[in-house]
Amino acid sequence: MSIFKRPFQLCIVLIIALVGSVTVAQDSPSKLTVGTTYIIDVLNPTTSLYGYAQKGLFYETLIEAADGANVIPGLAESWSSSEDGLVWTFKIREGVTFSDGTPCTAVEAAWSLNWYIETSAPAIVSYLTNITAVEALDPTTLQITLSQPVPNMVTAKLLYAYILPPHIWQDIPPDEIGMYEDPSVTIGSGPYVMTDYQPGEYMILDANPNYWRGPAPVDQIVYREYGNEDALIQALQVGEVDYIYGVPFTGIPAIENDPNIQIDSALANKWSELSVNWTPDGTSPASLHDPIVRKAIDYSIDRQQIINIAYLGYALPGNAFITMGMGAFYNTDIGEIPYDIAQANQMLDEAGYVDSDGDGIREYSDGTPLEYRLMTDDSAAANFRIIQIISDGLADIGISAFPEVESTDSLIARQVDFDYDLIHWEWDTDADPHFLTSVFTCAEMQDGGWNDSGFCSPEYDALFEAQATALNPDERKDIIWQMQTIIAEERPWLILAYTDSISAYRKDRFIFDPLNAISTMKWALYTGFSQVSGS
Amino acid sequence: MIQFDYLFRKIVFALLTLAVIIVFNFFLFRILPGDPIKLLFRNPRMTKQAQETIRVQFGLDKPVWINTERLQSGDIGGIFDSQFGAYISNLFQGNLGISFAQRSSVNEILAERIWRTALLLFAGEVVAIVGGIIVGVVAAWRHGTWVDASALIIGLTTWALPTFFLGIILLVIARGVLPTSGMVEPGAAKEGTIEYWLDVGRHLILPATTLAVGSASAYMLIMRSSVVEVLAEDYILTAKAKGLSNIQILKNHALKNAMLPMVTIIALNLGYVVGGAIQVETVFSWPGIGRLIFDSVAKQDYPVLQGAFLLLAVSVILANLVTDVLYSILDPRIKAS
Repeated sequence: MSIFKRPFQLCIVLIIALVGSVTVAQDSPSKLTVGTTYIIDVLNPTTSLYGYAQKGLFYETLIEAADGANVIPGLAESWSSSEDGLVWTFKIREGVTFSDGTPCTAVEAAWSLNWYIETSAPAIVSYLTNITAVEALDPTTLQITLSQPVPNMVTAKLLYAYILPPHIWQDIPPDEIGMYEDPSVTIGSGPYVMTDYQPGEYMILDANPNYWRGPAPVDQIVYREYGNEDALIQALQVGEVDYIYGVPFTGIPAIENDPNIQIDSALANKWSELSVNWTPDGTSPASLHDPIVRKAIDYSIDRQQIINIAYLGYALPGNAFITMGMGAFYNTDIGEIPYDIAQANQMLDEAGYVDSDGDGIREYSDGTPLEYRLMTDDSAAANFRIIQIISDGLADIGISAFPEVESTDSLIARQVDFDYDLIHWEWDTDADPHFLTSVFTCAEMQDGGWNDSGFCSPEYDALFEAQATALNPDERKDIIWQMQTIIAEERPWLILAYTDSISAYRKDRFIFDPLNAISTMKWALYTGFSQVSGS
Repeated sequence: MIQFDYLFRKIVFALLTLAVIIVFNFFLFRILPGDPIKLLFRNPRMTKQAQETIRVQFGLDKPVWINTERLQSGDIGGIFDSQFGAYISNLFQGNLGISFAQRSSVNEILAERIWRTALLLFAGEVVAIVGGIIVGVVAAWRHGTWVDASALIIGLTTWALPTFFLGIILLVIARGVLPTSGMVEPGAAKEGTIEYWLDVGRHLILPATTLAVGSASAYMLIMRSSVVEVLAEDYILTAKAKGLSNIQILKNHALKNAMLPMVTIIALNLGYVVGGAIQVETVFSWPGIGRLIFDSVAKQDYPVLQGAFLLLAVSVILANLVTDVLYSILDPRIKAS
């Protein structure tokens, strides 16, 4: 696994030695150290499902994600589609090379897309459905043919289809591709190249001098991995790292008032929800099948307290399952969900859930008490605070729910077997709502799919099919708004909050210009940072 | 020197222990709830078909224990066409499998990590043994004085402190002065150069100290009571009567006998030190086996966990075997029993 390019290491040593002896601030190469608790496990882009920040720096795509659901041109300068939406033509940039100097044209782009489809590249092929042919008409023209028109061709399908140099990959037998882990797998046409990597320790990226948009202002990015969140926050405090993204909420108080640290937050496609299990063959109590009970639970949740205590203010109260971060797809007609204990109590009283034995807990008509298992996963310290607040709210409406923490894996196992009552989950996804809307379809209830609640409606499924082929953006938006209305009424998920993505950096050493960052990590690292002179 | 059947018995016992551990190791991780592939690919970017491909790639589509399907169809040979069968047959070929999370050979991952943990344990243990013995002997020699009392109080306190807690305290105290994470400054020096090893040394100070303090107090307490006991023996009085100097008495008469329990405790302690290494490596982000185990538990990376546990088990068994042999050399009475 050890990946070493000794000439590069030697260069770095020499550069540092030279810098040390010359000490002219303007001429020194700038180095941004990024702290994280997890760099990457698998470098191979065909199988790697994490480390998208680094992959965004190594590889490029035809079209790139920008803020919200917007996109900008990448290796493709422009694009157009035929009347029927079946044939897409992309004009590919001229003069682009991979970081190893080989050309990157429409030929390489066509090869990459075809290769992903032919070899069923696990991490990428799910995006490339409905593509029947990819062809390079000439080095600057790429043509993609679809089996049916899709609304998200530009906004979603091509955003992760990295264009790779064929000469690295084409001779690897298909069954060995997934296991191929040579450092050369990181070669792409992006703004940085990997020069050193020690798994579990660090990764060094140097600016690609031949990058077609121009070399990055920061010469070197060093990722450092820390064993725990406390050590990570402390590393920022003592200046061992310059930048952390995805700052854990529990780490915020320690750095909030530090004069050298700037905290930035932005609404992202992130949210938290409470899944309610009411599948017919699940193990949850029958009372959860009653929409009145689910509504009362929803009303008993003090979302503002969750935001204040668990997210330290870096979140907005949630209501629709499409996040505010998804822009126009978010249904603004869905009203705020009130925190109203009195009304929740009244609803339960009227529905006949009364505390007949005087123990403070209401009973269902068959005499069983309203007692639920309330769980969260152990991946973040904030999670326990959230279910504690939910549990307190439930106690106020005569429902007993003891908060429990389990490992992510055992919760997934519970979810797949529908062996739970209430589980709190934190989510993040792509900006295109296709995947998220698929979660509540009947099909996703089978074989360990994503539908964990028991909601299954032919009406919703028909809307899902309709949005998948609606080419008119307004039409698609209307359909997705309707889907949100249905889910908001049925409540398979109680949407708790839309959470911010939080980053923090050393402002005594770097200036971060959010205007240069276009919100994605690639752009934040490519042009967002510039070194404070003399630091 | 060593009786053959004594050694033989010990080796057979060690091999038996190893066999039990190998089987236990396999099932230990599989009784955990959940499914490693589900966890790895609980990701919208992964289609069900791709999940199945990977399940087959890692042999997770096969039954865990024995293949009853093939047995029922009359194929006796196919009974071990299972995850367990593959695990055992790979193990005998020296192949620990492929990591679910990292997609590379567990042998390579462990080889990369083991020497780092060995370095940390070695540094920590050397400091602990030398420091523990010296303080223990001094405390015993000054038995009942303030030196003894303070050594005892400090020893008991540090012994009772959880390793991770001590680590966090040291981390806060030393921050800004000593490096608190990792093994090297990324890219600062070329591997193998003097600068590189100096850098490793600087990064080693905090984790090794944390590890050493816990062990040292244990060694100190044992050494102290052991020396105190020996010093009360009649032969020490005889030595004094012969007019030997204090140093001579300590060196030739007291220490030799007091060292016996130390050998046992050092070997036994190895198992605990390994456990401590998991905590220390996590606190100080030391990229060794301990942190690998910590991360792999979260990811349910069975092959890595199996490999790492096997490695640890083998080292503890070996250490015990060596102790037994050493013990029989040091103490002639052992051989007879």
